[in-house]
Amino acid sequence: MNQKKSSQTGTPQIRIDTLPHARELKWSMIYYFLVGKLYSVLPWKKTAWSCAGFPIELLWGFDIFPLHPENMATVAAAQKQSQRLIEHAESMGYSRDLCSYCKTNFGAVDLDVKMSLGGIPKPDIITCTNTICDTHWKWFQIQAEKLKVPIFMFDCPKIVSGTDERTIEGYINYMVDQFYAFFEFVKKHTGKELNVKNMMRASDDSERMSILWREIYEYRKCVPSPYSSAETSASFFPLVMLPGKKVGIKFFEKILGDVKKRAEKGEGTLSGGAKERYRLLFEGIPFWYRMRFMYDLAKYSAVITYEPYTFSFAPPKPVGKDYSESLREVARIMMDLPYSYNLDKRIQYFEQAVKDYSIDGVILHENLSCRPSSTGMIDLKNAIQSDLNVPVLIIQCDMNDPRAYSDAQMKTRVESFIELMEKNKKG
Amino acid sequence: MKTIAYFDSSHDMPEEVIAAAGFIPYKIFGDVHTSNAPADQFLQPFFCPAARSFMTQALAHSGEWEGILVAQGCNATNRHYDVWRRHVKTPFLYWFNGPLKDDSLALRFMKTELWRLIDALSRHFKISVTDEMLSAAIRESNEVKKRLQKLSAMRSEKDVTNREYLEILIKSMTLPKQEAAAEIDTLITKVEKKGPFPKNMKKVLLTGSDVTYPELMDQIDASGFRIVRDDLSVGERYYATLIREEGDPIDALASYYLTIPKPATRLGMRGRIDYLMKAMADSGLGTVISQNLKFCEPFAYDSVLVNGALKEKGYRVLHLEREFTPGPDNHLMNRLAAFSEMV
Repeated sequence: MNQKKSSQTGTPQIRIDTLPHARELKWSMIYYFLVGKLYSVLPWKKTAWSCAGFPIELLWGFDIFPLHPENMATVAAAQKQSQRLIEHAESMGYSRDLCSYCKTNFGAVDLDVKMSLGGIPKPDIITCTNTICDTHWKWFQIQAEKLKVPIFMFDCPKIVSGTDERTIEGYINYMVDQFYAFFEFVKKHTGKELNVKNMMRASDDSERMSILWREIYEYRKCVPSPYSSAETSASFFPLVMLPGKKVGIKFFEKILGDVKKRAEKGEGTLSGGAKERYRLLFEGIPFWYRMRFMYDLAKYSAVITYEPYTFSFAPPKPVGKDYSESLREVARIMMDLPYSYNLDKRIQYFEQAVKDYSIDGVILHENLSCRPSSTGMIDLKNAIQSDLNVPVLIIQCDMNDPRAYSDAQMKTRVESFIELMEKNKKG
Repeated sequence: MKTIAYFDSSHDMPEEVIAAAGFIPYKIFGDVHTSNAPADQFLQPFFCPAARSFMTQALAHSGEWEGILVAQGCNATNRHYDVWRRHVKTPFLYWFNGPLKDDSLALRFMKTELWRLIDALSRHFKISVTDEMLSAAIRESNEVKKRLQKLSAMRSEKDVTNREYLEILIKSMTLPKQEAAAEIDTLITKVEKKGPFPKNMKKVLLTGSDVTYPELMDQIDASGFRIVRDDLSVGERYYATLIREEGDPIDALASYYLTIPKPATRLGMRGRIDYLMKAMADSGLGTVISQNLKFCEPFAYDSVLVNGALKEKGYRVLHLEREFTPGPDNHLMNRLAAFSEMV
């Protein structure tokens, strides 16, 4: 794809060149939708609703298929359905201030929307954690009550700034106790027993997938970056929905191959050899209903080369450890995900990422639907600016509710930010 | 006696441990009359305004306290802790991770957390907290709770204003326990001398977010409603049950905090509904005011199903979303007035 001239302005319009194998993501999606549907209709197969931060490998160990209400909410947004579903949930009495993922799901279930538009089948059990937010378990508790489905919540202690290792070990003990209670819960409500061998194999495969993803991110450090968030925001799908599944591993292998080739040639993601001028870090959940935002940045020669959100789904999994050690490791991962890092660790993590990925500017999405991730953003902004002299832009918006997005305002803010980065570059 | 302040989003902080350590436990209520601008330097305006007010108070007054404890409750306590740690000046900031569940595993974890709290207080302040001290603190706490139970029972028989009720609860959570008990006795004596329940007022149960300032109570009073039952943390949740005085005090405290009436910040919405249903049935009430502080998510999530269950049972329910303001809210007053006419 070459630079094209905008019909309105006559100025060259820079686009993003997607990777040759990008479209192969469809196989993972087809797999997810088909197998998910199959497990939902076959009486001897079982499904569970699950949320971000929950170790899916545990469910694979029971041959239970995970369904993800959050991700189906993003499907609804991408299909331009989220607003009507959110408004339906609000008509049921849910406040405008509540999470838009949650309300999308409430609307989708109440209106019995089909899966391709963001609907989701009724599960056999519901599983969740409180690691990331209150919303996860409040939302799932409401749906468990309405759908009359048993629920298990992992009560994950918070590793706040300054927590010592001894305390964390105590927290892990509580988590491990809950694993055994969870296994009993699953057995009681589905009749299924944990197959430890299958679970450990799932964990190994999952780590294989995570390694590929982490390797892809190593290449994103190249200048220009061969892969941007315009693509990763979609291609991380297997990591979330199908961790360890072969269809996803194959996809990531191909993506890695594409990325390597591009990096070896010194090519970036912008079309027609356009130069990558600004390398950005984007924090937070993307605007799923307006994924063009990522592409729009290209016309300023700006590329999002790192986003903690998509990377956070690939933490190192316990491999080569015995069963009980693995459970302790999983417990630690559950409490200490990049998306729920305490503020001290978050600042350290971001500052390292800014250096590793040669970042020129940071965009922080202050998400009206996600108060936990927005907490500490002001400190984060101030730290990055003062410690690294890198400009930071906070944009207030919403991940799934298009009513929070204004094209004109976003354009103005982004353009000012580009000017700021340019000034900063010139020093 | 010196004070240790605490920030919790329900009745989550085991204040008996603070008292046993020789400090006055002081629940941070914020100040609705003071702008949240100081906290808003660090916290976004779409966060819970009460929590922002708590931080504003802490920024201004932390020097009056020996330390601050924060208990796990909602997103605000859980995430704001780190922000407080950077900006609120205090020699001792401590995170108390009470469990969200109430099963046997959670009970064991709660005991561990209680021991961890005692250990941290002991090491920082170079004190020793014995079982006897804990038992004495439990007895003192129960004395306050028993008096509040007595006062609460008078609400449907005597003329106890909504403001009087809230103010005495705030005193119970901020004053030394003996002083608080004396204040409650004084109010009980005053109420006994007052007339019977006013004929022009309607009896109502109040549920939802915690009310932390009396002006809202005045507005409810002015609309002709008298709160005779509630399930608030600055309310019945604080005194509905007593702490066991026999046996191991840590066991008693752990068991107490896991079995008090459920707030929206704890797993078990069914338990919350059951408490409300029983309160309505026991008191022969027919009317509920449910209110939600703007951006208070846990109660906003609960409100649809909880209020739906109450309505299904035939109770009249008014649900309000309110701002954090002491001024008269005409929108709120109109809705209360319309509801009053309806019932």
